[in-house]
Amino acid sequence: MTAASESGFFAQLPKALPGLALLIGTMVVIRLYVEPWMAGAVILGQKGWLIKVTHLNYILLGIIMGLLYRNVLFGGKLPEVFADGFRLSRLFIKTGIILLGSLYTMQAIVKLGAMAIFLIGGFVVLSIVMVLWLGRLLHMDRSMTGVMANACSICGVSAAVATAPAVEAKATHVAYAIATILGFGILTMFISPFIGHALGLNDLQYGAWVGTGILNSGQVLAACLAFNPTVAPGTAVSVGEIWNIMRVISIPFAVFAVTVWYWAGHDQPQGQQKSLGTLLVEKFPVFVLGFLGMVLLTSIGAFGDAGIKGGPPASATIKMIRDWMQWIFGIGLVGMGGYIDFKELRQAGGTPLKIGLIVGVTKYVLALIVVLLIRDHLVEI
Amino acid sequence: MAEKQIGSETVASAAKGKMTLFRDDRQEDVGAIVFSIILIAIIVVLTMNK
Repeated sequence: MTAASESGFFAQLPKALPGLALLIGTMVVIRLYVEPWMAGAVILGQKGWLIKVTHLNYILLGIIMGLLYRNVLFGGKLPEVFADGFRLSRLFIKTGIILLGSLYTMQAIVKLGAMAIFLIGGFVVLSIVMVLWLGRLLHMDRSMTGVMANACSICGVSAAVATAPAVEAKATHVAYAIATILGFGILTMFISPFIGHALGLNDLQYGAWVGTGILNSGQVLAACLAFNPTVAPGTAVSVGEIWNIMRVISIPFAVFAVTVWYWAGHDQPQGQQKSLGTLLVEKFPVFVLGFLGMVLLTSIGAFGDAGIKGGPPASATIKMIRDWMQWIFGIGLVGMGGYIDFKELRQAGGTPLKIGLIVGVTKYVLALIVVLLIRDHLVEI
Repeated sequence: MAEKQIGSETVASAAKGKMTLFRDDRQEDVGAIVFSIILIAIIVVLTMNK
């Protein structure tokens, strides 16, 4: 971290405190008061109806509260006093994902990862090819097609932003792509837990499905925790996130592939030619290294027993890490809800929306079919 | 123009780096690693004698 950016971050930190207090306060109220009330409330003659039937938990409630803050309470824009605090939400989500490394051993990562690479790799390539083909078929702008290809194939926002400069995309292209995939992602984030429960999927099958079929990292996390809020080895979030991390790692490769496609047949201007090596250095998501470091520390027993299935119970340190993780994810996802602006989602439209929906639905349904077909071969951890 | 409708700190303005207190994504990644190390250190100290 450079001194300049460090002072920039720390200089802004005091201004972030009111927003941070709102995020934390919201999660405290939800987890300590709302959830216990929902578990005990008798509705339609059934105790806990709200949880059993609606499958609402602290994750979904947190996102809904974030949505309500922005779009209802604050009339579509976060007030200045809270805005900086909400900008910490991705920091919380990334920190949670790093701590999530405490759910795995290197052995489990290798076993799960091999299957994830096969599935994720297949779906990333399929999505890119589909968008490029549909973009050509529907005469969509070439820059817009390039951004949409990676936005639909990898992980939404990050991929769209990473691809934009390489394919000469305008901010409008990025905004259209993000609005399209987020609109679709929000829908899938809320309906996936219901579909998963209705189909009787277990955590492994559900995690593999949403980790492959949902476009955005935060939404994969939310959909997994909405299905099963427990953070432990073998739960939906432990499976879905491995799938998701494999996809996030593929960002530099996909940016390279789409850049090569974009400039095929054109003379690329000097200064814009970037090798795969340069892209790997520039675009590799560094927080993944923190996750892998955490897996390594867990594997060598740095925090005591990891509580892996069939082994001794988790140590007090591991239990506390997992407990804190739930709070960190909860706080981060309230912030994520606060970034969803209904006015922005209405920007989605025209050809990008058509292509985004076709590819998104195909991927979502196909991932479910594939997971159901290979359900007996999925690797359990 | 759709561009003009983009909010100043919403998801669609990610390209403008408004979604984070850090300078960019890379700095935020490093920040998350540092934050994790601090949290783990606190947890290890809290559970030292358990």
